[in-house]
Amino acid sequence: MFSAVTGNLAYLLGGFLTNVQLAACALAGGIFLGMLVGLGRISTRKWVYRPVTVYVDFLRNIPLILVIFWFYFVMPIIAGRPLNAFVSAAISFIVFEATYFGEIFRAGYQSISRDLVNAAYSTGLTYWQTVRYIMVPIAFRRMLPSMITQSIITFQDTSLAYVIGLQEMVRRTSIVDSIEVRSIQLYSFVALLFFIVCFAGSRVSRYYEEKGRRANVL
Amino acid sequence: MLAYSFDWSVLWRQPYGEWMLHGIWYTLQIGFLAWILALTLGVAVGTLRVSNRAVLRFLGTAYVEFFRNIPFLVQLFFWYYAGPMLFGKTIQFEINSISGLNYYVAIVALGLYTASRVAEHVRAGFASIGQGQYQAVLSTGMTHFQMYRYVIVPLALRLIIPPLTTEFLTIFKNSSVAMTISVTETTFMSYKIDSETFHGLEATTGAMLVYLVLGMSIVKLMGLIENRFKVQGLISR
Amino acid sequence: MIEIKNISKWYGNFQVLGDINEVIGRGQTVVICGPSGSGKSTLLRCINGLEPFQKGEILVDGISVGDPKTNLYKLRQRIGMVFQRFELYPHMTVIDMIALAPMKVKKKSKREAQAKAMELLERVGIPDKAHAYPANLSGGQQQRVAIARALAMEPEYMMFDEPTSALDPEMIQEVLEVMIDLSKEGMTMLVVSHEMGFAREVADEIIFMDGGRIVERGTDEEFFKNPKHQRTKDFLNQILK
Repeated sequence: MFSAVTGNLAYLLGGFLTNVQLAACALAGGIFLGMLVGLGRISTRKWVYRPVTVYVDFLRNIPLILVIFWFYFVMPIIAGRPLNAFVSAAISFIVFEATYFGEIFRAGYQSISRDLVNAAYSTGLTYWQTVRYIMVPIAFRRMLPSMITQSIITFQDTSLAYVIGLQEMVRRTSIVDSIEVRSIQLYSFVALLFFIVCFAGSRVSRYYEEKGRRANVL
Repeated sequence: MLAYSFDWSVLWRQPYGEWMLHGIWYTLQIGFLAWILALTLGVAVGTLRVSNRAVLRFLGTAYVEFFRNIPFLVQLFFWYYAGPMLFGKTIQFEINSISGLNYYVAIVALGLYTASRVAEHVRAGFASIGQGQYQAVLSTGMTHFQMYRYVIVPLALRLIIPPLTTEFLTIFKNSSVAMTISVTETTFMSYKIDSETFHGLEATTGAMLVYLVLGMSIVKLMGLIENRFKVQGLISR
Repeated sequence: MIEIKNISKWYGNFQVLGDINEVIGRGQTVVICGPSGSGKSTLLRCINGLEPFQKGEILVDGISVGDPKTNLYKLRQRIGMVFQRFELYPHMTVIDMIALAPMKVKKKSKREAQAKAMELLERVGIPDKAHAYPANLSGGQQQRVAIARALAMEPEYMMFDEPTSALDPEMIQEVLEVMIDLSKEGMTMLVVSHEMGFAREVADEIIFMDGGRIVERGTDEEFFKNPKHQRTKDFLNQILK
């Protein structure tokens, strides 16, 4: 009954791997960029705050699919030659997800008392040293549940790379479906895979949320 | 850098301008109709989540977890491609010959998905209403159902207008996913313009502006609603 | 020597500091007291450049704090500060926290910085807590760690902003003892506090501030026995009750 799935298992799982790889790139870049975006959003310098805010507000109003398309059209013009779908998708995701992670980091930074930062400065640490050793680690730990939740969303979003033909799992499922026409089995399978990963992730996030609430010091 | 001549007229030149307008109209339709579904279903599921009966609670939780942990694109494809097959061969054929099926499936899928998110906000709204309130209503002799219907739900909805605004914005953004089943909404149109003119950059930039304006309008609209329905005496912005 | 000359500061239209003048010589311990909102904490933060001021001049060993060309980071290496709410880094162990600035700012090796940290922990009386996290420490222990953290940079001056105000009564003494030892060893200290016992024991000068201005100052003898202004007398009556 499930021959459509089992017969193409390697092909489909290969697609799933692509989703995982894309998510990994998106998260690495998005979290790092988000760290900086968060700093920009709490900056007191107008020339930093304004552009970063425009960037965040702009991207949060736009569908991710459109961002994916936009980069897909833009990148060849800038690079001078057509780019492969994975790279184009990765860049789109990093730029897009950084706005969400940026807001998460911002909330984390804002939860740190002014005097704690002052304490660091009063030992002679510079701004970037304080950011690196104090603000980012504390913000990250405090916002870990939100970060995990956002990471799960990012992972789900990788399915949208379908639209530029990336050989990820949804694209491969639809290819197999067009041949075998076993839609129920095939789409249930991809749904199940995503469900397992995301559900597990949400449990992990819940665990850290509970831990944070009980400790209540960090 | 590749030599590229910009042609912004693809956004308003006929027939492309008309395509864009058609697309915007479809985005609005899908968004609003799905939102109505999402609100009603979301309130129902959210109420299930806080029920006294464990069975109902489980149903509510199952619904939310199911729709939250699967990407919307996968859900959409499931309902569109696999959905008709669930009804057996004969009905399947009937369903697949409905013209504009993709349009209806998109609305239903989007509504079901968004309802799970609305349910979570509704649940948070219930949680923020103090125990005492529930007890006070029950002490006047109302049943649980009446309590929710006449007091708790109206109050909770007012309390959660800000997160609901975010969901309302999100539903319009997610409507763009319907392009994958060829629904002729804004994003689909910008892609179609590109396939005809190869000026996808201008087309998608134009589409971005559409969503931007849409987003700002909704925020304004919800702000007006929030003012109209504000709960006196609670912390407001 | 710290010279504070005619310092005035406003938050918008509200004046928080007015015409503050003071000189703190090497090895001196100066205690500032006064009602809350009198600007005492703000003054401290102006001295090490954490807060700006609109009028006047502050010179630390001749370096002007308000001068835009002054390297505030370097200046802050010479002034240690201890805060009312301890402000320990919750994500680091005690020893890592104390060693952090010496390693990153003074470029000391980990071994050297940690050895110094242990030395300081001995000095403040809690060497056994080196690998604990702030969450596992009592308030008094946390504040002593904060003192060690400030001392790790070998500052010339130490400023304390109501160091015992957030502590339960039974823990105040252990922190004051560290501060008294520090003062007797010759550290130049500027302490905002209501602990009059401490002031009486080690203060070279006591300053009373109210409404952003210095109302009265004197040695502990003059201050406690012969307060000149009515406001000072009222305040002392309240505090010493």
